[in-house]
Amino acid sequence: MYKKLLTTIIMLMALIVPATMVFGGERVADPAAGWDKHYHFFGVVGFLIFVIVFVPLLYFVFKYRRTSENHTGAYIEGNTGLEIMWTAIPVVIIVLLGVQTWALFNEYRSVPANAHEVKVEAYQYGFKMVSPEGIETDGEFTVPAGPVKLNMTSRDVIHDFAVPAFRVREDTVPGRWTYMWFNASKEGTYQVYCAELCGPGHSLMLAKLNVVSKAQYAKWVEENKMKAQTMTPVERGEKLAKQCIGCHSLDGSPAAGPTLKGLFNSDTKLADGSVVKTDVAFLKKKIKAPKNNLVDGYPPMMPPYSFTDDELNAVVEYIKSLK
Amino acid sequence: MGKPEPTGIKAWIFTTDHKKIAVLYLVTSLVFFVVGLLLAIIMRTKLLVPDREFLISNELYNVFFTIHGAAMVLFWMIPVLLGFFANYLIPLMIGAHDVAFPRVNALSYWMYVGACLIAVLGLVLPGRLDIGWTGYPPYSVTGPANTALYVFAVHLLGASSISGAVNFITTIITLRAPGMTWGRLNLTVWGIFGSFIIQLIGVPVLAAAVTLLLFDKYLGTHFYDTNGGNPLLYQHLFWFYAHPAVYVVALPVFGIVSDIVSTFARKRIFGYTSMVIAMMIITVLGFEVWVHHLYVAGTLNWSRIVFMWGTILIGVPTGIKVFNWLATLHKGSIDLKTPMLYALGFIALFTIGGITGIANGLVGFDIHVHDTHWVVAHFHYVLALSMSMLVLGGIYYWFPKMTGKMYDEKLGQLGFWLTLVGALIAFFPHFMMGVDGIPRRYAILPAEYTGMIRISSLFSYIAIAGFFITIWNYIKSARSGAPAPANPWNSLSLEWTIPSPPPFYNFEKIPVITSDPYEYGKPEGHGEEKGAVGGHAAHHH
Ligand code: HEC
Ligand code: HEM
Ligand SMILES: [Cu+2]
Ligand SMILES: [Cu+2]
Repeated sequence: MYKKLLTTIIMLMALIVPATMVFGGERVADPAAGWDKHYHFFGVVGFLIFVIVFVPLLYFVFKYRRTSENHTGAYIEGNTGLEIMWTAIPVVIIVLLGVQTWALFNEYRSVPANAHEVKVEAYQYGFKMVSPEGIETDGEFTVPAGPVKLNMTSRDVIHDFAVPAFRVREDTVPGRWTYMWFNASKEGTYQVYCAELCGPGHSLMLAKLNVVSKAQYAKWVEENKMKAQTMTPVERGEKLAKQCIGCHSLDGSPAAGPTLKGLFNSDTKLADGSVVKTDVAFLKKKIKAPKNNLVDGYPPMMPPYSFTDDELNAVVEYIKSLK
Repeated sequence: MGKPEPTGIKAWIFTTDHKKIAVLYLVTSLVFFVVGLLLAIIMRTKLLVPDREFLISNELYNVFFTIHGAAMVLFWMIPVLLGFFANYLIPLMIGAHDVAFPRVNALSYWMYVGACLIAVLGLVLPGRLDIGWTGYPPYSVTGPANTALYVFAVHLLGASSISGAVNFITTIITLRAPGMTWGRLNLTVWGIFGSFIIQLIGVPVLAAAVTLLLFDKYLGTHFYDTNGGNPLLYQHLFWFYAHPAVYVVALPVFGIVSDIVSTFARKRIFGYTSMVIAMMIITVLGFEVWVHHLYVAGTLNWSRIVFMWGTILIGVPTGIKVFNWLATLHKGSIDLKTPMLYALGFIALFTIGGITGIANGLVGFDIHVHDTHWVVAHFHYVLALSMSMLVLGGIYYWFPKMTGKMYDEKLGQLGFWLTLVGALIAFFPHFMMGVDGIPRRYAILPAEYTGMIRISSLFSYIAIAGFFITIWNYIKSARSGAPAPANPWNSLSLEWTIPSPPPFYNFEKIPVITSDPYEYGKPEGHGEEKGAVGGHAAHHH
């Protein structure tokens, strides 16, 4: 019994050590490609386990049926050899998978030195990106092809920045910085999802990621720098209001909060029963401290915004323009 | 025995009889199972059309999966296993008149009822719970949800679980009949024993975690906020219990599967000792895995690796159990009665869920599928549907014992096949969506998946129809089933040696045990020291 156990352990080591070298030694330049390989390897292993369980299961159920009322099965208490086998082989399989995934994980978490570093701030319900050149965009990001690192945080609750095309995601946590990187290997537009429950707008918290060539990226930077100087207040307001459209529609359709279309200078019934005019003063008050002026019939879920005076004016100008 | 058996409605309200308390647990938890299923029907129907206003709003979708998840895990799976099965079976299987503390037992049940009432309030009061059954801050603190209800429900459930744990651990240790050695316990008893150990260690941590949530929300403390606190602290404390909670459900299920398979294959359970060791390893290792829920939460990189090894290695004892079940079928005398069908269906669904769970546990793999529909598919296979089905099979198995009546076999099989076919297919499309990285808890899914979702919903309805037929079968058969003999399955286990339904004090005289419950077909003279053949059955009164 003990001899058997000892031989098994030695055999296990003999299998595990070289396997560790084979799988652990492998380096992938692109975690996404590594993930696909890992998935296929897992697929083969998983399918084999499936067959190893289901074939005997079905076979025994058909073969060993009760033949008469007094029929009884064979008396077998166990079989040490078999039991050691189906302990040892799964250990080997698990270690193989574990070592492979460990190597892959190291790739995921070691950022290449030449990565393009972007700051991401998530909020209910969107993502703000600040490029290394200081350009701020909401909802649509542009990065040059090649490795990209995101340094991420959140303004309110926990969100998650998920880019399935590059097989990676990481939570954004208020008060903390988290990071992830991916190799933006192919130019194109990719979908970004929030993948951590963050409120009623969770499933609307989407963004686009544009991967462009280095030259196009340089052009994009120039254009945006110019724009920042020549923008009208309404245009600036429109940009800032990207943060609101998770809860407010711009076209009159229903959403978590009242639509912003035609809102300016209308009558609003507040939760305390009073009716107010939504003039400039009210809008400013509401955006800065929403809990003090709750609108009747909606949940109190709007977050407060600490805009500068300029920004606040721009947002109000934009709301005014939505007729 | 002693006192006469009380009757009437008061007999139920003031009862301290473990069998009556068990039935109360069963009825209450089944109600929550039905509530969970009804919510699932509404969610699945909402998903048919990717439109924010279709059927229910996004807000309500979030409320529904919160209550669905909480109802299913906290008000159905755990209470039915540790409330109903533990109560009904433990005294009968170890040869005792009742549990060690019958009045504490009744208190456990009524605290559970209190938690149920609070949960129902959570559906109807303003500030409805839309925080997921996990209740992560800051959203659960700063959001509109009435988190206090969630916290108080967890407190009451926790108090109920802890007193239950103390009660049953004591009962199993001290009230075993003479001759009922640890090596002769039913695997169901072992599973329940492991579960209660986890409850005793884990539940206080959960209670602490949610209490701090309460303080943060209503007393302005800063445990989980960014003002000196840390939102990840909650996730660690929550999953320290909530992952092992999966094993709280799984261990008794493993035990019940073993008992059913052995009885209906009329064959000794293969590798009894390795079954017990595997259960105890799972009990301990279950506390070594929780960080897999924080694989992408911004936790330390090395901690993700360490907990990955715990997570995937737990696949080994789990695998041992599956192979032992297969080996028990080998050369058996298999009778495909409804309980056996459920046990086999369980093994099938559980295997699919188990394999895909290993993938989830692989930290490099999970970085792409975390919080996607891969996870939804995985846990509905491995736990939600497989274990709910096994529970229904377990109820069928002991139904003649409890009620003294036989269930309707035809209806039983119909319900089983509908549920099995539905369950096998319903969640498969979710694996494909998961591999594409589509996040879970989305009230609106990308339109290109509408086709898959419709297939999934169709088969969900079929599975749920099967569940409803099964529950109807219980109600119908309890009222008008044919009378059941004491031991319709010719089982060798102790609970079948007494009449159906069992008398008030179970055993007229505490039996003396001379053999274990799995000795089917044991040849005369095999293993001398164990004594007479069929010792359990020998004590038939
Ligand atoms: C998390 C969701 C959410 C976000 C994000 C949000 N709001 Fe709101 N907002 C609401 C809700 C809900 C109401 C109605 C309840 C209330 O009064 O708070 C509301 C009300 C308002 C009102 C009052 C409407 C009326 O009928 O008088 C204004 C103005 C407003 N929001 C502006 C904004 C602006 C501007 C932004 C972005 C800078 C924004 N909101 C972002 C949810 C949100
Ligand atoms: C056929 C029956 C069932 C169907 C159709 C069903 C359907 C669903 C759906 C649609 C979701 C939401 C998925 C999402 O958007 O993220 C969900 C979540 C969930 N289900 Fe089920 N379910 C069923 C049975 C069960 C059972 C029996 C359990 C028991 C444990 C269970 C436990 C859960 C849990 C824990 C969640 C997660 C809730 C959360 O995200 O907070 N389900 N289910
Ligand atoms: Cu989100
Ligand atoms: Cu877990």
